[in-house]
Amino acid sequence: MLVDFRPHTRLRGDGRVDLATSLLPVVEALAEADVDLAKVRVVSDWVQYRENFREVVDLRPILHSVPAAAGVPVSLGVREDDLEVAVDVRRSQDAPLKELTAALLRGAPERIVLEDWGRGSRSCIWDFNALYWSALELWEKATGRGYEQALPGGESDARNIDAARELILGLFSVWDRLAESNALPDELYVVELGVGNGGQAKVFLDVFRELDLAHGRGYYRRLRYLMCDYSQHVLDLARETVADHLAHVSSFALDATRPATALGFLQYKVFLVYVSNVYDNLPTDEVAQLGGRTYCVETRAYLPAAAAEGIAAAAGATPAELPGLVHKLLRLGPALLPEAAPAHFPDVDSAVDFWRRTWSALRLEERYVPLPGLDAYTIVPATGRDGLTTLSGELLRPLLESGADLRMHVNNGALASFVDSLMLLHPFGTLVCHDLFVTDVNGYRTHFRGPGKYDGSVVNWVNGPLLAHVGRRHGFDVTYEPFRHRSGGNIVTMTAQTRD
Amino acid sequence: MDDRADLADLPLLPTTVVGSYPVPEWMERLKTEYFRGRMSAVQLQDVHEMAIKAALRDQELAGIDIVSDGELRRDNDLDYFLARIPGIEIPHTAKDFYFDYYDTRVRAPLPEPGDAAPLGLADDFAFTATQTDRPIKFSFTGPFSLARRVRNEAYPDRRDLVLAIARILNAEARALAARGARMLQIDEPFLAGYPQEVETAVEAINIVTAGVDVTWGLHVCYGNRYARPSWEGHYDFLFPAVLETTVDQLVLEFARTGYGDLEVVAKHGWDRRLGVGVVDVKSGRVETPEEVAARIRGALDLLAPDQLVINPDCGLRNLTGEVARAKLAAMVAGTAQVRRELTGRPMDDPGPDDLARLTPGLPEGAAR
Repeated sequence: MLVDFRPHTRLRGDGRVDLATSLLPVVEALAEADVDLAKVRVVSDWVQYRENFREVVDLRPILHSVPAAAGVPVSLGVREDDLEVAVDVRRSQDAPLKELTAALLRGAPERIVLEDWGRGSRSCIWDFNALYWSALELWEKATGRGYEQALPGGESDARNIDAARELILGLFSVWDRLAESNALPDELYVVELGVGNGGQAKVFLDVFRELDLAHGRGYYRRLRYLMCDYSQHVLDLARETVADHLAHVSSFALDATRPATALGFLQYKVFLVYVSNVYDNLPTDEVAQLGGRTYCVETRAYLPAAAAEGIAAAAGATPAELPGLVHKLLRLGPALLPEAAPAHFPDVDSAVDFWRRTWSALRLEERYVPLPGLDAYTIVPATGRDGLTTLSGELLRPLLESGADLRMHVNNGALASFVDSLMLLHPFGTLVCHDLFVTDVNGYRTHFRGPGKYDGSVVNWVNGPLLAHVGRRHGFDVTYEPFRHRSGGNIVTMTAQTRD
Repeated sequence: MDDRADLADLPLLPTTVVGSYPVPEWMERLKTEYFRGRMSAVQLQDVHEMAIKAALRDQELAGIDIVSDGELRRDNDLDYFLARIPGIEIPHTAKDFYFDYYDTRVRAPLPEPGDAAPLGLADDFAFTATQTDRPIKFSFTGPFSLARRVRNEAYPDRRDLVLAIARILNAEARALAARGARMLQIDEPFLAGYPQEVETAVEAINIVTAGVDVTWGLHVCYGNRYARPSWEGHYDFLFPAVLETTVDQLVLEFARTGYGDLEVVAKHGWDRRLGVGVVDVKSGRVETPEEVAARIRGALDLLAPDQLVINPDCGLRNLTGEVARAKLAAMVAGTAQVRRELTGRPMDDPGPDDLARLTPGLPEGAAR
């Protein structure tokens, strides 16, 4: 048996974790169960998100073969476990751990399964996530607070004036040098992905105008600021926020994972792509290297039986009807759901209540499925736009083979967005991103990095070493540093600039 | 045209490549293994030679008139040369990824080459010559670009470093000619980033070519590292300085940037050969033969038919093999269309069946 206690820092200091109560009961339950103890992994995490997709104890089957991997040789000496038992240490001390573990080992508990097994990025949790952003107004109305209040510190770091000033002065420096060699284009493009309510754009434009006045080169006159967001509604609101600068602002409704589909005309023309708190909110798979073998983490969303009964009762339905109603919700949204299912939802408020209760109860089952080969795993498929952007799983190799067992995010959506954005950058352009980045691969071996729930959205940390690796393969140096303009937070600034 | 015999024997609008050929992912892994010390140089050489044979075969099947070795032995456009120049120091010779650049420095003036040709380029050429009957273009990075990334602690003026490297490359060129090379091309991928230094580059190029009686080409693009341009601008910075070079042919990038700069070339009275980029190597979209033909016709509005050589914008290194083959096939087919129009004679160009044979994996419409 292999025990991987990841949050080891919590074994010391005040409020330290007691292994006797947080882990040993699990081992005792395993010892009494009919399992091959030589093929079990016990993994302890500290799940910091109060709202998340896990139970205190989860079982994760480890598959040895799948049809796609038939005939693919398995290396000698790999450790092929059968089962992973995952424990959330934060909650484990107050729970009847042994009983919970034993019950799971006895057989599958009653659950309302909402989807088939599949890669994490294809789970319906991302449909919930998209629904949150598209029906944000209804969610906010029901909770009584805006989404920015759900962020750590209650405000997006994107609004920080000092950060904006630093960015703009960096641009002025590049433009001055290009102007000296007569190589400065007439129009100076800045792209913001995930514009939200326009707060960042307004700060940037206000500071830009002020600094340009002092600088005296007339850059504000040539500035073209492109606000991009998933939602046209959000963009309309953002335009109101930057009303003072509208002559310099254009807005684009686009999918953040494919910015170049709308902005392809700006290839190699953009001096700054600015992204704040977007990457952590884009679909991701997880992969794992366990005992010398590589696996994809497959997931399946479900509702625990007890919660499902409560949700079903409130909606005048049976638990068995819930999957259909959930998918109807995800397809139509809460505003239209009463029309589609009037027997269950007499009005929008009841549909929003259904949405929120379902989201709160939603959990993910997980299992490990062997990958037949990294090159056979596509991180991001080719867009067809330039035919050069296919990202193959080979890019994961240096990280997966970096030492001991590892489970990490692939951040498929973030990588797609990142690589597509790089194609927009002028040879002297920069991409700046503020987000939750894991900056060292060992960070995955010691801390839980998601997924968790932030309000109605999904949050995952972003695999910084992977983005840096992919950036290097596209000719960019990628650096990370803690966000310098506010102390005490987890936000990291990623900067990508052409290397060499 | 005052062509040397090798070029004069070729058809009107000869087709060629700029130099590099796609490096498959499996080969990238092997090259990286070598630079991490996990594979021997002998094994890597074997890999390279197999790959060169395949690249030559691809070019021949596509109908390219002047072929290259695909620069497949090289880790990148600089280090393959710098690592072999006596006096260039490389503190760390391992690489995380083979394509990364070394940190290089020079702390004392480079030794004069004399009769030695330490880079071994003639051996590289000689192997290629045993593998094909077609005319071969052999390219190498020019002294201006090679000097750009060397930390100079030896010369008070970087120009002196550029010229010292040029003298070494001249020795290589002499060795190449002695082994039978007839078409040599100097690549200057960094020049467009430093347009104010074009005179130094021209001075160095003339040192490289001095006394070497081959057909000389000079390739200047806006960079193609990782399929991205490193610079933006126009070719007017080359003129009039480039008129003073002793090269026979300019090889320039047009397909990605547009053909406006052809007027710059014509306006300044360039009366030698021009290698016209008719295929964009920074895009995976495969041009149609008709597009290629239209681009050539556009060039013919400004330049004489016997001035033109037809090539991609730059090396094909960043494309997949599949796309590169399709682009070359389209380039050959488009060129053949224009040849027919110019000569009135049917030419031996690929038809639709040939294109399909050369690009079996590409979806309909992608390659044709």
